[in-house]
Amino acid sequence: MINITTWARTKSPWVLHFNTGACNGCDIEVVALLTPKYDVERFGVKLEPSPRHADVLLTTGAVTHQCTDRLKRIYEQMPQPKFVVAIGACACAGGVFQDCYNVVGGVDKAIPVNAYIPGCPPRPEAILDGVVKLLGSLQTPKKTKGRGEIKRP
Amino acid sequence: MKLLETKLREKPVQFLPGHLGIVAIRVNADAHRDVLKVLLNADEKTAVSAISGLDLGVNLGVFYHIRTSNAIITIQAEVPKEKPKIATITDLVPGAAFHEMEVADLLGVVFEGHPCPARFVLPDNWPQGVYPLRKDIKSGDIKLNPATTSDGEASDDGKLVRIVIGPQHPALLEPEKFAVRVEGEIVRAVEPRIGYVHRGVEKAAESRTYLQDVYLVERICGICNSCHATAFVETVEKILKTEVPPRGKYLRTIILELNRLHSHLLTLGHAGLEIGYETLFQYFWRDREPIMDLTEMVTGNRVISSSLTVGGVRRDLKESDIPKIKAVLADLRKKLPFYTQIYRNEPSLKMRMQKVGTLSREDALKLNVVGPVARGSGVDIDVRRDEPYEAYGEIPFKVITYKAGDTWARMNVRMDEVEESISIIEYALDHLPAGAYRVKVPRVVPAGEAVNRVEAPRGELFYYVKSNGSAYPERVKVRTPTFANIPAFLKTAIGESIADIPPNFVSLDPCFSCTDR
Repeated sequence: MINITTWARTKSPWVLHFNTGACNGCDIEVVALLTPKYDVERFGVKLEPSPRHADVLLTTGAVTHQCTDRLKRIYEQMPQPKFVVAIGACACAGGVFQDCYNVVGGVDKAIPVNAYIPGCPPRPEAILDGVVKLLGSLQTPKKTKGRGEIKRP
Repeated sequence: MKLLETKLREKPVQFLPGHLGIVAIRVNADAHRDVLKVLLNADEKTAVSAISGLDLGVNLGVFYHIRTSNAIITIQAEVPKEKPKIATITDLVPGAAFHEMEVADLLGVVFEGHPCPARFVLPDNWPQGVYPLRKDIKSGDIKLNPATTSDGEASDDGKLVRIVIGPQHPALLEPEKFAVRVEGEIVRAVEPRIGYVHRGVEKAAESRTYLQDVYLVERICGICNSCHATAFVETVEKILKTEVPPRGKYLRTIILELNRLHSHLLTLGHAGLEIGYETLFQYFWRDREPIMDLTEMVTGNRVISSSLTVGGVRRDLKESDIPKIKAVLADLRKKLPFYTQIYRNEPSLKMRMQKVGTLSREDALKLNVVGPVARGSGVDIDVRRDEPYEAYGEIPFKVITYKAGDTWARMNVRMDEVEESISIIEYALDHLPAGAYRVKVPRVVPAGEAVNRVEAPRGELFYYVKSNGSAYPERVKVRTPTFANIPAFLKTAIGESIADIPPNFVSLDPCFSCTDR
């Protein structure tokens, strides 16, 4: 039995896309999702420009030092409950930019992440699958660790 | 060259014949301005392609890579590490301002007389006095200061109102910040802050082998990835003196043009989105998908192909795939008149784009812009024709130029180039030579250096690679087209309405992951 808010949430998640220092490969694939061939709007997914209206944060890139604090601020501006998807090898673990002097190496080093979609870049189908799986997991509520407020120095 | 030698006879300069592929001149500090003046007077198309800074041990090298209409000339100057000071060239070439700021940021060279020396690519909380491209800096040792989130507030100081666009903004796909000062609706000043996507690729390239670097430089930009790979492997091939087999050259040309096709279709659609014409965006992106499928068919991946390698390409094209590619291209060609007619005649589009962001030919030359931005202002430059690489010397194609110099002209250059690209691929498929598509090359590259240019979808892409005789490069310098084109936006946005910023900006086809590296 799922309640009406969960039902509403899974039927029309509004997503915000933030590039934390990606090469544009993943970003273009995220935009390609909106276009006729993949058409993510049929799942009720809408790209939302403001963090204050978004349910899901789609992040790409290996998180540069200049972006880290901005990423945290965007995460904090989103209303609860909020979900974070890390798209691409860089967002998952730093990818090819591991050990570069200006990257943190992975979105989960800055904010909590709910779903990881590997690939360099992942195909639009894979991103779509990841988002749909994330939504599916909402319907079977389970205890998750590490959610909530992030620690700031 | 002759002219240079006669004019510079009394100056403290030294010619290094046959070096760097073309011409190199070694100068004492401050003689670089004299050489530059001679070049500027000789050719109106003289421009600074890049300024690369090198750590040479005791000294810091400042290499000015100058392009003229028919050659690339490198002026090599050296400054001592303890007192790294050199005179600026921004008064001679205004387009060099960004290049100097980058070298100052990454290597700590002080350019005396630079109009606005400020933090440019490194983060705000970067420690003072640490310059990442110097050899003694290890990436693990850097201690950052506590983070500051001063993106600058929107403010109102009397007449001018400051509006901050970015780093997260609906109109920008990438995180960059532009603070705009407006008087009413009119833009009076633009303050750019790049570096949000700066990952330090140039430093990382030094700690990876040449083969690993191919995969790294491809990921500088996910859109024009094949151009980065081509530019890098060609530079390494120049040092190795390797000749790629003809079939490899033709296959590379096909991959590069598929890259250009998808990039141009992407931008043409994106421009529609920025002016509120979403139908156009959806149409263009619908027709871009078959090109992505072709890229997958030829290279094995939709976006980042990783199909180029030092010595050739990594996989052959199947004979049975050629008719399929031709069918898709013929289909796209059939749809082109519809799009061309929209970009030429559609009144709402013309109202948003014509006489917006006009860049005169003089300014385009002065600011050293490249690619479709230069060609839209009537500057007839195209590396594919001026310095043919791969199979471009054997394939006939037109270089598109427009005279108007506005947003509309820049987009129409791209519109016409789509058709040229289709013709180039068709010609290459018809004349595809038989034989090997790659040669084996040694992993260790002999000591040497080379410069190379490639015409990426956004313009001239410049690479400089220095090898020290090991399996790891000593220095990889990348100058990307958007880096050279941003000054055009900073110039043309001023005096126009704030609503004209999105179409003007997108007409540069900005790519910040390229710009920052």
